[in-house]
Amino acid sequence: MYKDQVYSIAHYFFHGDSGIAADITQHVFLKLINNVNQFHGDAEFSTWLYRLVVNVCLDATRRHKSEPIAANSNLEAFARPGSQEQDYAKAQAAHIVRKAVSALPVKYRMAILLRYFEGLSYEQMAQALGCSLGTVASRLSRGHRILAERLKGFEGGKL
Amino acid sequence: MLRIAVATSVLAVLAMAGGFTFEIGSPVAAQAPAAKTAAFAFRARGCSEPSKSQITAGAEGIVRGTRRSTVLNVAAMEKPGVYAVFQTWGDEGRWVIVLKGVCGPETAGAIVPIGPKGFIRESAKFFSRPATAAEVDASLKSLVEGGSK
Amino acid sequence: MRIFNRHVSDRLAAYVEGAIDANLVRRHLAQCERCRAEYADVQKGMAALENLPVVEAPASVWNSIESVLDAPKRPTFNPWKFGFALSSAVIVASFAYWIVMRSGAPWDVDGLSGSPVVGTRHISRAGRVAPGEWIETDARSSARIKIGHIGSVVLAPNTRARVVATRPQENRIALAHGEIHAEISAPPRLFFVDTASGTAVDLGCEYSLYAEEDGSGLMRVTRGWVSFQRNGRESLVPAGASCRTRTHAGPGTPYFDDASDILKRALDTFDETSSLDALGAILSASRVRDTLTLWHLLSRVSAADRGRVYDRIAVLTPVPAGVSRDRVLSLDRETLTRWKDELAWTW
Repeated sequence: MYKDQVYSIAHYFFHGDSGIAADITQHVFLKLINNVNQFHGDAEFSTWLYRLVVNVCLDATRRHKSEPIAANSNLEAFARPGSQEQDYAKAQAAHIVRKAVSALPVKYRMAILLRYFEGLSYEQMAQALGCSLGTVASRLSRGHRILAERLKGFEGGKL
Repeated sequence: MLRIAVATSVLAVLAMAGGFTFEIGSPVAAQAPAAKTAAFAFRARGCSEPSKSQITAGAEGIVRGTRRSTVLNVAAMEKPGVYAVFQTWGDEGRWVIVLKGVCGPETAGAIVPIGPKGFIRESAKFFSRPATAAEVDASLKSLVEGGSK
Repeated sequence: MRIFNRHVSDRLAAYVEGAIDANLVRRHLAQCERCRAEYADVQKGMAALENLPVVEAPASVWNSIESVLDAPKRPTFNPWKFGFALSSAVIVASFAYWIVMRSGAPWDVDGLSGSPVVGTRHISRAGRVAPGEWIETDARSSARIKIGHIGSVVLAPNTRARVVATRPQENRIALAHGEIHAEISAPPRLFFVDTASGTAVDLGCEYSLYAEEDGSGLMRVTRGWVSFQRNGRESLVPAGASCRTRTHAGPGTPYFDDASDILKRALDTFDETSSLDALGAILSASRVRDTLTLWHLLSRVSAADRGRVYDRIAVLTPVPAGVSRDRVLSLDRETLTRWKDELAWTW
């Protein structure tokens, strides 16, 4: 659902801070409701929505200047309701990867989260991020490489 | 079929005898989504401490008459001792993949020919030591001459 | 032949995801150690992200949105304008709620040939198909559906399918009839295809699935694994193997495409009739690789015949430690799984 995807992007973008993520999600959907008459259908709805998400997150970045959350390892927050039986090791792995994503420079972090959680095409991402296709490609490549570098030695079930 | 049965039995005997050896399989044998697009999976059998083993792989090929070599990244899977090899060698020419392993005092090697439909299990060779250059060249020559299907 | 002489660092993510022409990048990688190392890092970064689950927004988020919308407004001196503004707010709030709560975003559709139909709309080059909508091709048309960011499904001519769900944890299509070719690059169990004879569960793969109106058909896997399930009966079909499906029986017994014709014909007969002669022919014609078929037969033959199947597998390939005949014959799940994991090294 859109609200979960927007919330997830905000959650991982702001270092797992569920308070900021809730604020961002509320802000995005209130803006959407108040400006829905500006959607003329000339862009895909999801592109329009995620352009909003990008702008709201970047605005909030300038306001919050938040530090990565260290103590807020609320691992249950990573689980969907009803999946409390989820392997603790998997929750640990999610925590480690989440910290690495949080530490990415903003432009790479946003590109990776948009691509991973919403699966926007490169064209849609270019519109949402306000940049060229080549820039989208290079941010994704560079972002993933930095992530891999930061996760060296991480053997959480993946490469 | 007989060759595969013999090869399988030899591997089993080596493993049961405690010898360090490689076994190859299709990517699904790795039981890991990450291996799905691999050229093949392999495991190091008979190694008492897989986490301390050193496994390397290289691709040796002949492309339009020219000998080529390239080092490959070996991807460790979640299960200890299980690995995957991904194709980063070219589509042109004929290639064999050379595996080398060190587990404590023991070593192992393998040569895995690659055909149009993927790795050629029945032509793979396994050793309790690294393959020699001559053995690699012989495998390549056999592949080029169509000795391997 | 053109090769990227310059490094391809900035193209590697697009290359992994199939967003650009693979041949040029692949040829450069074959000759550039630096880019190969970076390529491995991009793959590792992408794989690591699979550890991040979607986080469900707490109910308080929507409650707070509603409370803002419901907040009392100062009365205006024009009750008609006030009423109009209030009803507009209700309309847009309802619209937003619908957008938020519906079962996922539409998928992009490319018309590959002819004029496929989505719902009641003919599409020529590009369109979208939303959850609940049908997409259909005729004898001259075909289409590709982009399944979010996890892959694509090509609909061959004369195919009809419905998009059921497009959620991050559930991407589902119902295939009424025809043929699809799915190419999925995602963690397992995110992509499903329902047919009248069962559900194909992607375990990370590429496969073709053909179905008649009654659900009978054929699945052929070219990469990874697919699980085909119905009413507790499951066939695990790896790359290089196929599986027939039958309406009344669900998934058939999988077999490798390079198995002998004798084995394939006997298997067809056995799946239809449970004939003992057919079972005997399967056992006689089986090779090491056909232990895929034999392993599945263990749970599909009578208890009296199970020992024959076990014995044949044991002749073809050594039985691993921890797999006892008794436990296999009693269909102990853990034992069967352990044996399958070992046999997979011969498949």
